[in-house]
Order: sequence, then structure tokens, then C-alpha cells
Amino acid sequence: MKPFRAARSGELVAGLEPAEAQILGLLLDQLEQLLTADAEDVADDPVVERLFPDGHRSDAGMAADYRELTEASLRNGKADDLATVRASLPAGGGDVRLDADQAGAWLRTSNDLRLALGTRLGITEETEPPEDVADETDQQLAVYYWLTALQGSLVDALVASRSGRR
Amino acid sequence: MAGPLAPTWTPESTSEERSDLDRPWVTIVWNDPVNLMTYVTFVLQELFGYDEATATSLMLQVHHDGKAVVSSGPRERMEHDTSRLHAYGLWASYQRDA
Repeated sequence: MKPFRAARSGELVAGLEPAEAQILGLLLDQLEQLLTADAEDVADDPVVERLFPDGHRSDAGMAADYRELTEASLRNGKADDLATVRASLPAGGGDVRLDADQAGAWLRTSNDLRLALGTRLGITEETEPPEDVADETDQQLAVYYWLTALQGSLVDALVASRSGRR
Repeated sequence: MAGPLAPTWTPESTSEERSDLDRPWVTIVWNDPVNLMTYVTFVLQELFGYDEATATSLMLQVHHDGKAVVSSGPRERMEHDTSRLHAYGLWASYQRDA
């Protein structure tokens, strides 16, 4: 991976290896399945609970009101972001070039993917990247930390391009 | 990882005597182990227009104290702020100011 940087054109540019683009594509498919699943099928899924948290922590009625008010648009926003990322992802690897709106979609979707993987893997603040990739959990951890590097570089590039505009 | 350390920022004082109805609502961001510190700072700047020092200070408060009040006002606006934070995957909720 070539991490994201702010190009002189104003675009945010990164480079993905073919295998990285493929993994990202698979993760997008999995996220889409979660977002489009029947509500009953994923009601107790901790990933769904993390992506669509309660708005109020102690008042169940208020939390239900909040959900009714906001969940559909939150879900649509995530679906739109996911479609934007998929459309700007070079399937066989290569350069990713994003304008500001596309960069926002990549930022939010890569965060959703990290939240999903992080929840599945039980990430804590003490979790460390795996030293050897010995089993499937190590593999998923490695993917999680790869996503972290990708998203982190996008945040840094956006901060750099924002301060450059001032 | 985060930007330069900022002076401590405290939410607007609510120490004056107020009736229950006057108490404003607040939006709270809670600590979670996934969201990057740089990302949280960036999102707080994007959504609320905070300068970098203020956003960094709030992020550090979330990180060290487990939570921080990031906005306050009428309930409807706090619901809206919470949903904007949820769109970015921050762990947020709203409640009446304690």
C-alpha cells in the first residue's frame, strides 16, 4: 500500500496492491450484507449494535424514539458511502484518487469496517498487531491494522490539505 | 499520534441555579478502543467547527476520562448532533445535562 497523501491537484491519492484491493472489496461485500440484512436476523449482532448505537443510554423510550427518527437515514448514508467507495476502488489494484466527497465516504466506511472487525475481534486499547500470522484470527488482526494504517493516512492527508487551504 | 497538546478546555459552565426545564441537553462522546485519536479530533472539527486545540482537548478528555460533552442545547439539536456523530461511527449519546 502507498498511504494516502494530498496531491497538488487537491485530490487524495493512495496506491493499493491487487491483493489489498481484493480484500477491501470482500470487506465491503460483508458490510453490505450486514447493512441490508433483515432487522430480525441481526437484532443481537454486536457489530450492528455498534454501527447503530442507542442515542440515549438510560431511557429506553427515548432510545426507541431516536432510532425511529434517525436509523433509516443513518443506514442510507452508510449504503451511499459504501457504494461510493466501491465505485472508486480499482478492483485489480492501483491508484485510488478521491475528491473531497469521495474522501469523506472512504473515511466513514473504513471506520465502519474497523468498528465491525474490531468488535468481532474484541479489540481493546491493549491489543497489539500480530507478530506472526499463524491462524485466522491473526489474519483478521493483520487486516484490521492494515485498515487502521489506510484510514490513519487518509485522516492525516485530509488534515494536511485542510491546513494547506488556510 | 494526536496534534500538539492543548490547554484544558471545559464545557460551558452550568453551575448557575436553574430550574429543571432550563437545564440544557448535552451530546456526549464516549471512549472506544477502535476510533483513532486523530480521527476523533478531525470529526469534532468537521462537525462542530472547533479549532484544532479545542477538538484535540475534547478528544483527550474522551480518551482519558472515558467521555466528554461535545455540544449542548435543545433536545432536538442534541439528537441531531448525536446522529451526525453516529454517521461517523463515533460512540455518542445525548441526555439532559447532569
